[in-house]
Amino acid sequence: MSQTRQYELVYIVSPEASEQAIADLHTQVEQIVQRFNGTLDKTENWGRRKLAYEIGKAREGTYVVETISGPGELMKEVDRRLRVTDTIIRHLIVRVDEDLSVAERLRSERKSTQARRRTARGLPPEPLPSERRGDRDDLDNEDIGLEGAEVQR
Amino acid sequence: MSGERGGGRGRGGKKDDKDKGKGDRPRGGGFFRRRRVCKFCADKIDYINYKDVRLLSPFIPERGKIQPRRISGTCAKHQRALQTAISRARQLALIPYVTE
Repeated sequence: MSQTRQYELVYIVSPEASEQAIADLHTQVEQIVQRFNGTLDKTENWGRRKLAYEIGKAREGTYVVETISGPGELMKEVDRRLRVTDTIIRHLIVRVDEDLSVAERLRSERKSTQARRRTARGLPPEPLPSERRGDRDDLDNEDIGLEGAEVQR
Repeated sequence: MSGERGGGRGRGGKKDDKDKGKGDRPRGGGFFRRRRVCKFCADKIDYINYKDVRLLSPFIPERGKIQPRRISGTCAKHQRALQTAISRARQLALIPYVTE
């Protein structure tokens, strides 16, 4: 019944809450996770951020992102607890394991297709760093441009 | 040249080629002329992260609405994923619902 799934929890803490209160919230979440035999994979604190719109009276808030693995009941409990906590102005729970595995599959499929096509053309399966192109192209060019300028001076 | 994107309005045939490098310039009637390539397909982004505002912001014009596919050129699959990502980001007040 209780399958392990991966979830992402994001919550926004009210700007009035102290550092201590934020830490307390984190331990609260941690305790719930432990109680349901889940694991807390990752915690990220984005710090204070301006909100795109006002929530209640708050114009900014502290964002905390937690990646949690565990059963659905665990997240249900977390959701319930966050809902009744006053200092939390907004929270969101997203199940990510399926999306991430789809992304992973697509990536490996693309890689194997690339390798097959490359071997068919008599090239090594992995593209060499020298023939790489794409996203980082402009960055590379910029670097070259700067180096050139320095040499000229 | 005309083979590039068929149905070009004769007048701008040459200008089109010139503009291509610089990206998209609005011409005649407020239309964008560009080779429409899905950004996510081109950059090989498999998972559109709702927390990445920098990734989403080009698809949200000033008004705060989601840019339609016919303008952004995003493919159907990625537009769907983008939709979900944007609504999640909106819930988290990372991007606005509306801007007046």
